Amino acid sequence: MTAAVGAPTVPRTFELRLVSVIARKVIREASRDRWFWLYCAGFAALAGAITVTAVPDQNLIGSGGFGRTAASLVALVQLVVPLMALTLGARYLAGERDSGTLVFLLCHPVSRTEVLLGTYVGLAGSMFAAVTTGFGAAGLFSALRSAPTDPVLLVSLAALSWLLSLAMLGIGLLISSTVRSASTALGMALFVWLSVVFLGDLGVMGTVVATRLPVSALFATVMVNPVEAFRLASVVALDGSLDALGPAGTYAVDRFGDGIANIALGVMAAWTVSAVGAAVLAFRRGDQT
Amino acid sequence: MGGGAPRSLLYAAVVAVGLIATMAGPVVAAPGEVSLQDVIDAADPGDIVTLTAGTYDGGITIDKPLTLVGEGWPVIDGGGEGSVVTVVAPDVTIRGVVIANSGNRLDRENSGITSDLSPRLRIIDNRFQNVLFGMFLRHAHGAEIRDNEIGGMDLFIARRGDGIRIWQTTDAVVEGNHVANGRDSVFWFADRVTVRNNHVEDGRYGLHFMYSDDAFVEGNVLENNSVGAFLMYSTDLTMTGNVFRSNRGPSGYGLGLKDVDGLTASGNRFVENRVGLYADNSPSKVDLYHHLESNVFAFNNIGVLLGSTVARNVFTGNAFIDNSVQVASDSTGGLLDNEWSYEGVGNHWSDFAGFDADSDGIGDIAYQIDNLFTDLIERYPEMAFFSGTPAAQAVDMASKTFPSLRPEPILTDDSPLIRIPAFPPAPMTTEATSGLVVLVASLGLLLAALVVMAGGRFRFSDRIVLGGTT
Repeated sequence: MTAAVGAPTVPRTFELRLVSVIARKVIREASRDRWFWLYCAGFAALAGAITVTAVPDQNLIGSGGFGRTAASLVALVQLVVPLMALTLGARYLAGERDSGTLVFLLCHPVSRTEVLLGTYVGLAGSMFAAVTTGFGAAGLFSALRSAPTDPVLLVSLAALSWLLSLAMLGIGLLISSTVRSASTALGMALFVWLSVVFLGDLGVMGTVVATRLPVSALFATVMVNPVEAFRLASVVALDGSLDALGPAGTYAVDRFGDGIANIALGVMAAWTVSAVGAAVLAFRRGDQT
Repeated sequence: MGGGAPRSLLYAAVVAVGLIATMAGPVVAAPGEVSLQDVIDAADPGDIVTLTAGTYDGGITIDKPLTLVGEGWPVIDGGGEGSVVTVVAPDVTIRGVVIANSGNRLDRENSGITSDLSPRLRIIDNRFQNVLFGMFLRHAHGAEIRDNEIGGMDLFIARRGDGIRIWQTTDAVVEGNHVANGRDSVFWFADRVTVRNNHVEDGRYGLHFMYSDDAFVEGNVLENNSVGAFLMYSTDLTMTGNVFRSNRGPSGYGLGLKDVDGLTASGNRFVENRVGLYADNSPSKVDLYHHLESNVFAFNNIGVLLGSTVARNVFTGNAFIDNSVQVASDSTGGLLDNEWSYEGVGNHWSDFAGFDADSDGIGDIAYQIDNLFTDLIERYPEMAFFSGTPAAQAVDMASKTFPSLRPEPILTDDSPLIRIPAFPPAPMTTEATSGLVVLVASLGLLLAALVVMAGGRFRFSDRIVLGGTT
């Protein structure tokens, strides 16, 4: 049964249509996945709660105050979105493998590249839905409470969050395509999450204290982290500058000016492309199934 | 004066003006016929010169007490050179005029209106457009600057001039002006100046006081400048009911104080600034205390930043709401020489984690700032780069959990207020975005989510059945 009857032996060309078919399958499965709905609901509930609790008393401060809400949303995204995307990516292929559906899928006339890219696109679509649900809920709560809200900022933060999730999803899929079991993949994803959200920054902080790291090196080291790239791009969207972030922020403004946001976007894009590329290569080796 | 104009033309002008003057009392000037300078030269001291709508050549000098009144917004156009109007006489009033296009020489201080030895100069309800300096007044005791609209030149901020600059002028009143895109609004040696209900935005220093004593600053809105107001080397200043909002930049402060003695600050709002209030060597006199009472510090990166040697500031009845750092010192060492409660009334702190068992509105335990991450920033300023990250919060959580990591508190408020004290309403400044736009944007985001999720379920006719899905 393993060798499909009449399967073509000549290598087919890569078919975008198949990627889209698999992507739709992945989205369909995500919409049946309890974990995915839990993530969506949790993120939307937290984002909504932030807009409700962070709304300032207009009589007290005159007007404005969305900056505070937005900063809280950014902090929430830093924690939650990498966790969602990493675990979603890491669980998916490894889970399919554990349940045997991956072997079944690969029996069909689809290439491994198409399967992996399709999976990635499908998960990216699911993350898009999760992120827009969260920010949509936050905006909806603000609008219903007629709290000060900057709709442009809201949408740009949603877009940045999705970009962050794309990078994290790529890393998640890379884990998924190199590791044999779903539980190992999940464990690794959690470790990566801990590293990008906490350990990386704490390490740089420690280095600053121990060696008085020059600000240029500090900026470069921090910028490598996609979560930090997301944060700095958000700070630029929020404040227009990194001025409030001390000497390293002033250095970055002085050195890169308006280019900081582009650097941050570039970092997230580089992580996405290299992680997905590495995942494709690892998955094509195909000795895990 | 009047030199250069052909004598016959001047006679004609004088006769014409004289005729009108004898008939109607005030002088009426219309553009084109006679130059505005000739009309001014021909007018008698104390005359009212009415300018009808149209454009007049600038570069004029007023050397006698006169009232210039515009009807239908006449324009005095400097043609991009020098100052537009120069006043060198007492009791001059300029009202209802558009003053446009000065030169852009910063070293010559090209201005919309420049004046010297001009006591009781009144500049009321004018519009300044594309001028380097808006107005530059010297020795204009008792000047009145009211309800003007001042827009600067579209230049790099250090190349711009000041919206309002006052030099060696006592008892001036600056009220109800709107200054945008200037550099600073500066008051040098301007004792007893009253600055009230002005709106200064998108400049460098919204208000800048140098050696100006007994000033009264009330109800101004200073937003989106580098610094809302910086007061230096001045004594006995009263600041009430001002709004300092979104004054940011690498050295952005809502209100900055340097060597100020005798400050009373109450009812001010410090919102979304990089630093709400910054004080350096204020008060400088050892027997003087500053009372900062009933102010709101909200959503700033740092609510209050004090120089490490600053002492004798008394904070009472203020509300510190969700500043990333509520209060900090600009170097290591505490702020214990300042007082954070006065006669049993402390301040409201949004991060106060105590309780009020006897329900008297005063927390039963003291509020302290002993934040490890803030302490680290004071020691290693580079650490500020991590403000607001989950890692920074982890550092603080660690210090709360393990008291051995906890730094010495930089301040203690023995009587923290449980509730936010009542404040009079703040002047509303930036108009809120329409809720409808926000609603549409949010529904758009939710719709996008639905579309993507539904995309997976959509049945295409050429769909290949894979993985057993039906």
